[in-house]
Amino acid sequence: MHATKDPAKSITVALIGNPNTGKSTLFNSLAGVRQHVGNYPGATVEKKIGQFTIAGQPFDLVDLPGTYSLAPRSPDEMVTVDALLGRLAEEPAPDVVVCVLDASRLQQNLYLFSQVLELGRPTVLVLNKMDLAEAQGTSVDVAGLSSRLGVPVVAMQAHRKLGLETLRQTIQQAVEQPARAGESPFPEVFRREVADLQAALKPAAAESLPRYLIERLLLDSGGWLEQAGLPGVDNGAMQQVRQARARLAEAGYPVPAVEAMARYDWAARTLDGLVKTSETPSRSGSDRLDGILMHRFWGSLIFALLMTLVFQAIFIGAEPLMEGIEDGIGWLGQRLDYVLPEGVLRSLLQDGVLAGVGAVLVFLPQILILFVFIAVLEDCGYMARAAYLMDRLMSRIGLSGKSFIPLLSSFACAIPGIMAARVIEDRRDRLTTMLIAPLMTCGARLPVYTLLIAAFIPAHRVLGGWIGLQGLTLLAMYVLGLLVAVLAAFVLKRTLLRGETPPFLMELPSYQWPSPATVVRRVSENGWSFLRGAGTLIFTVSVLVWAAAYFPRDPAVEAEVRSGYAPQIEALQQRAVELAEGGEDGDSAARVELEQERAELKATISRHVAGAYMEHSYLARAGRVIEPAVEPLGWDWRIGCAVIASFPAREVVVSTLGVIYHLGEGQDERSESLRDTLRGATWPGTDRRVFNIPVALSLMVFYALCAQCAATLAIMRHETGTWRWPLLTFTYMTVLAYAGAWLTYHIGMQF
Amino acid sequence: MKKTVHDLIPLRCLTPGQMAQIGAIVGDPNQAHRLAELGLRHGAEIEMVRGGSPCVLRMGGQQLCFRHTAGLDVLVRPAGAL
Repeated sequence: MHATKDPAKSITVALIGNPNTGKSTLFNSLAGVRQHVGNYPGATVEKKIGQFTIAGQPFDLVDLPGTYSLAPRSPDEMVTVDALLGRLAEEPAPDVVVCVLDASRLQQNLYLFSQVLELGRPTVLVLNKMDLAEAQGTSVDVAGLSSRLGVPVVAMQAHRKLGLETLRQTIQQAVEQPARAGESPFPEVFRREVADLQAALKPAAAESLPRYLIERLLLDSGGWLEQAGLPGVDNGAMQQVRQARARLAEAGYPVPAVEAMARYDWAARTLDGLVKTSETPSRSGSDRLDGILMHRFWGSLIFALLMTLVFQAIFIGAEPLMEGIEDGIGWLGQRLDYVLPEGVLRSLLQDGVLAGVGAVLVFLPQILILFVFIAVLEDCGYMARAAYLMDRLMSRIGLSGKSFIPLLSSFACAIPGIMAARVIEDRRDRLTTMLIAPLMTCGARLPVYTLLIAAFIPAHRVLGGWIGLQGLTLLAMYVLGLLVAVLAAFVLKRTLLRGETPPFLMELPSYQWPSPATVVRRVSENGWSFLRGAGTLIFTVSVLVWAAAYFPRDPAVEAEVRSGYAPQIEALQQRAVELAEGGEDGDSAARVELEQERAELKATISRHVAGAYMEHSYLARAGRVIEPAVEPLGWDWRIGCAVIASFPAREVVVSTLGVIYHLGEGQDERSESLRDTLRGATWPGTDRRVFNIPVALSLMVFYALCAQCAATLAIMRHETGTWRWPLLTFTYMTVLAYAGAWLTYHIGMQF
Repeated sequence: MKKTVHDLIPLRCLTPGQMAQIGAIVGDPNQAHRLAELGLRHGAEIEMVRGGSPCVLRMGGQQLCFRHTAGLDVLVRPAGAL
């Protein structure tokens, strides 16, 4: 994907701006298809880099996350500031910073720009959405603004690619300009305190802190930055900072309020006489649309219909695609039967590698479909309205309206749900949402529920015949997941993810037609991100579980099973001999019957061989090791074993139960024989049944609450950049699942 | 024109369509600073578009969705009271 370029000669351009300024559209227009996504170490921020050339000169374009302010309060926000200041290891400082402003909200957007100016990098101001500003009756004197700021200003309509060529030329010229320390908008007394602090910190620090970070340190009375490990910032330094804050408060410039005062004053001074606004802004089409879409009743109804459509599309629309993938993988596996002899290699390729690839690919349809909807809804501006509508509900459990769509999507599959949680800016809300998303009843739990409900829950009708008991049980599992999720969110927000809730203030962007290019790019980015981030891990786990179920593969196991069938084989052979002795005119019907019996016996033996191998596998040993732990739940070692095997994906429990109960491979939840076998299974050496209703319910409750899904944990690792959160999720969900299953079993046994 | 603190009412008391100027944001200064970064600050002119919680405000060509949180009070001076 990379063009051959001399990295020493490549020029780095950073792109920054408020959300909803059209920054991403601009990034895509400049970089085209020459872009890739990475991660900043230790942060959940995606690093988007695009490449373009102007007159043979290569440029690297770094897209920084949209933000209203460069005031770091979390590692993610710090990454943006560090990237702009060139403080990241192995990342060059940007040669040019392009700051995108929405012309229709110029004064507000100048807040961020005044921070960018202070970084002292060569800067280009892009005045985007000029058409929207004009439609709202605002006109801007672009040349006047440029000369007053001393910075090149480019007026643009990025979605129409108007002004793109001018921007390219301006960027190229800006590189030549010397970097100058931006003028500070702060009052004199504040600037003096900053200069004093800088002088005081200098000897202690190996690298001297840029002025901007000293300002931030002084302004950050919330206390995040002092713990961020800045060089030279120790207790002594913080003592001086606190003294400086006290002096500033005394002088009538309390931190952090002084920043908003200073920057907005500066913005007002800068725009004075350059911006004309017509007195009566007309009620726009956007407002009329909001009258319906944000209406308490009609808006909610439209949202509910829309979500039904999204949900149906993920749940049902993805089904044929997922089946297609599974069929394709299955077909490839069958081909291997002809190509390879039976043995470890064939088994590895069929049940390890192909199953692993299938386990990864099978999630793609749901991810892609969900992100088509999300990208369209986001790009047209509806997403913020949806968050508004759902905020009243979600704020009751301590989250905001932005958590609704990720959680709803998790009812189809937690993986796209967790990926969709990226839109939540607040870190605590985002983590809480990701941590409770796997409790939503996803599609992979359905096979487990279907099998167990059909096998053990009587098809009675209750409540006057209106509702079937089986359906009610399924509903109960959905409700259980939801209730526990609400409780988990409640607890998480009060313990691990405790902290002051920032005020919820969200911009509602103007409606616009979604751009197909943006949608396609968003969707493909998310698809790749999943394959890259979680695919390898899901694959690895699948292969490992295959190995555990396959090895040690002692041939004596097979020989023993076969010797157990020796009398039957002998009897069949005897009858064959008798038939042959009967002469040429022997009964052909008897011959056919004999052949059938022979085939049936062969199939029975091979099922028993597969079952016996499974019983002697490492997986079974693990199942026996954990048997004392699962016995209180009413399970035997075989159920324990199937639960372990389902770690790559929950639905695997069904096919594992099939093998372990000697039904051979390829059993699914609709299989009658699997149901019958489960009903008839007994504890070894007794005629006590393994399964009864309490055991089935306990297994269902376990699956409702457990995190037996490697893919979910892998994507969580990818999205948070650390193993901490997936491990926590696995632990808390497994504990809950165990406790829930135990309670269910013991309460159930009372009846 | 006399402006006293008595003119100030909580933001949530505005009715849809009513214009006002933000008179004070009372509470944790760090929280207030976050609001200021998005433009919700002392002196800003707003119009209540939709009441309730969360409410929708119009402010300088943009619309904002705002939920009242405990420990932070936005006090406004309704346009009629100026």
